[in-house]
Amino acid sequence: MSDYKALQEAVLKGDIKTALEQTQKAIDAKDVARDVLDNGLIPAMDEMGDRFAKGVAFVPQMLRAAKTMQECVKLLQPLFAEGDITSKGKVLIGTVKGDLHDIGKNLVAMMLEGAGFTIVDIGVDVSPDKFVEKVKETNPDIVGMSALLSTTMPAMPETIEALKTAGLRDNIKIMIGGAPVTEKYATQIEADSYASDAGSAVAKAKELLGIS
Amino acid sequence: MNSSANFYRPLTPANVKRIDETARQILKNVGVKITDDVYLDKLAKLGTIVDKDNGIVRFEDGWLDEMIGKAPHRYTAYSRDGKNDLHMGSGEVYFANGGRVFRILDMNTGGYRLTMLRDIANTAMLVDKLDNIRMYFIACQAHDLKPEFYHLNDFFEAFNHTTKHVMGGCTDIDGAKQVHALASMIAGGDDNLAQKPFYSIITNPISPLTIEGNTLSIIEYCTQRGVPITCAPATIAGATGPATLAGTLAQLHAEALAGVALAQALTPGAKVLYGAVANNMDLRTMELTMGSVEMGMMNAAAVQLAKLYDLPIYGTGGLTESKRPDIQAGFEKNFSNLMVAMTGADLIHLAAGMLDSGNSISYEQYVIDNENIGMIQRILSGIDVTDDTLALDVISSVGPGGNYVMEEHTVDHMMDQFFYPTLGVRSNFDIWEERDRPNMLKGASDMVLKTLRDCHECGEGVLDIELTAEIEAVFPQIDNI
Ligand code: B12
Repeated sequence: MSDYKALQEAVLKGDIKTALEQTQKAIDAKDVARDVLDNGLIPAMDEMGDRFAKGVAFVPQMLRAAKTMQECVKLLQPLFAEGDITSKGKVLIGTVKGDLHDIGKNLVAMMLEGAGFTIVDIGVDVSPDKFVEKVKETNPDIVGMSALLSTTMPAMPETIEALKTAGLRDNIKIMIGGAPVTEKYATQIEADSYASDAGSAVAKAKELLGIS
Repeated sequence: MNSSANFYRPLTPANVKRIDETARQILKNVGVKITDDVYLDKLAKLGTIVDKDNGIVRFEDGWLDEMIGKAPHRYTAYSRDGKNDLHMGSGEVYFANGGRVFRILDMNTGGYRLTMLRDIANTAMLVDKLDNIRMYFIACQAHDLKPEFYHLNDFFEAFNHTTKHVMGGCTDIDGAKQVHALASMIAGGDDNLAQKPFYSIITNPISPLTIEGNTLSIIEYCTQRGVPITCAPATIAGATGPATLAGTLAQLHAEALAGVALAQALTPGAKVLYGAVANNMDLRTMELTMGSVEMGMMNAAAVQLAKLYDLPIYGTGGLTESKRPDIQAGFEKNFSNLMVAMTGADLIHLAAGMLDSGNSISYEQYVIDNENIGMIQRILSGIDVTDDTLALDVISSVGPGGNYVMEEHTVDHMMDQFFYPTLGVRSNFDIWEERDRPNMLKGASDMVLKTLRDCHECGEGVLDIELTAEIEAVFPQIDNI
């Protein structure tokens, strides 16, 4: 097993170029892909998680580190043995009909992606029919909906209704969020989960799929 | 002209130029995304450089200058009774409340609730009575209404409870049409309305550098009917703008100039305010912080950028992160209101009533901010130095050891030199105890109750009863409260 200090440093800095070089070096030295992941990349992300929790790392740093790690995982991908990595799950996310606000939704998507989820971002002003169509097409585990206008919140139950009618509701978990949205509202419209910010969205998504 | 406006200068003249040059490069090279084919064709005919495949419109320097040259440097935002006509571009600094929140801190319960149509009526009444809030913004979303009729009802309640100029946003062109039809009835016809428009419409680009077709159609519809507009970027440093203040200013300036230029291309001479609602993320957590100190600095700098083109500006101040009218709300609000005022903004919106990073309002905060704005207006009016105010004569006649209490000079100037607070507590300690230890918040609460009670007692609204009946006959969707 090699020393992954340089790789870890690069991940913590979010320096994709150096991290990829280091990963390639490990591959060339015939390291086992699983080792690079378990002893190189994952401890680096754990360290970043710690720094973030202590308030010494900020969100942009965390997202860059996660992105760097993903790029390295992509490089390792062909070398993994079966069962080495499993995606945490697939999340389809969009801002509901009539609503163009996407900053919050994008942040949630970035954080989920950083935490290892596969993301299908279907954009803004997404009608219930479009949600249905995309769910059929991509087969996600979780459907995330964002609304920033109290006036577009009703599009959430409409979308849930459309998913029910299409017979898709039982196969997916529904998670909602956005400034005017509340836990109570989530219960009322029978969504499965609500999160008030991007950090808790990750925890809630894991909870929904029973992973840690 | 306020003598202390134009005092604060966050940017040196050289840096104003650098930001402006960067913005012009953005408009020339990066361009603005327009999400509508019809408008892309139209704008190609009007002289912009259109990349139809990518939906991008670029502005050459010459074209930009020509269009901005058509924008009026001055225009009047009329009130209905002539008492609060606001002269944009005159050098006066006007403050207004802010708009379209979804939550209100309810004084009866001390908790938050969703806003209703009655909150629009009540805030309009408050603004009508509060001297330093010079224009009324549709304050909140009426959650007790059907979406199709929001705008009609919002503006009806606003018009019916204040004669001050009304400003608000429209979700779509239908809303803009309904509001115009309603205002036209009140004005006694389209021509009267175009002559003295007593409402304006707010639109926004979507940062970074995107303008919706829907937004352009609202701008075109309004400006062709003489209704003033703004197209105000709400650029967020660290999210929809660069994390540097200068970078966010350059992008915001490009977006704001694009709004002015496009309005002029669609309607030459359109009454338009350069718009700026700069704010930033707290990058530790990615929470939006509309109450940050940098918000005040950037929105003050934006005034300098608008004034480089001699354009009147729709500026921003008075926001806070606090959820209650408290110490934090006090200082966050006043930093930005004062900074933006001292740079010489024509209009400062969101200056009164706001809490909770732009998501909530409170009636108490309206009256508290009104008083704070009074102090800012006092600062802006400056220290006037004349033979009379230098007071050499009276100093000579009183002489060493006397006092000025009973001098005629004192009586002459007691009203024009000092700001007298209504809510701020100033009594001496014993009287303060005797009066049961008054504080500003309690005073604000009492004042809100009294103002609203008086207004409710004096009748239904300010619109003529017969006119109201006519309006209701034409618009049965209006849910008169
Ligand atoms: C930026 C902004 C805009 C930008 C949007 C740019 C963009 N690309 O998104 C522009 C200028 C275009 C805009 C337009 C409008 N806006 Co706007 N906007 C805002 C503003 C200032 C910030 C929103 C934001 O990005 N917050 C920062 C992000 C990070 O926070 P967030 O979105 O809440 O997301 C977090 C959580 O909620 C959660 N979350 C979000 N989504 C999801 C989804 C899931 C699944 C989960 C689990 C969690 C989750 O996690 C996120 C990260 O922590 C808010 C005011 C405010 N203070 O919030 C008004 C605000 C939302 N807008 C408002 C309004 C009225 C409008 C307009 C109608 C204005 C108009 N023209 O009249 C238009 C509507 C356009 C449309 N059809 O959607 C009102 C809404 C009132 C209401 N009725 O609810 C607000 C409250 C401002 C106000 N007081 O006027 N707006």
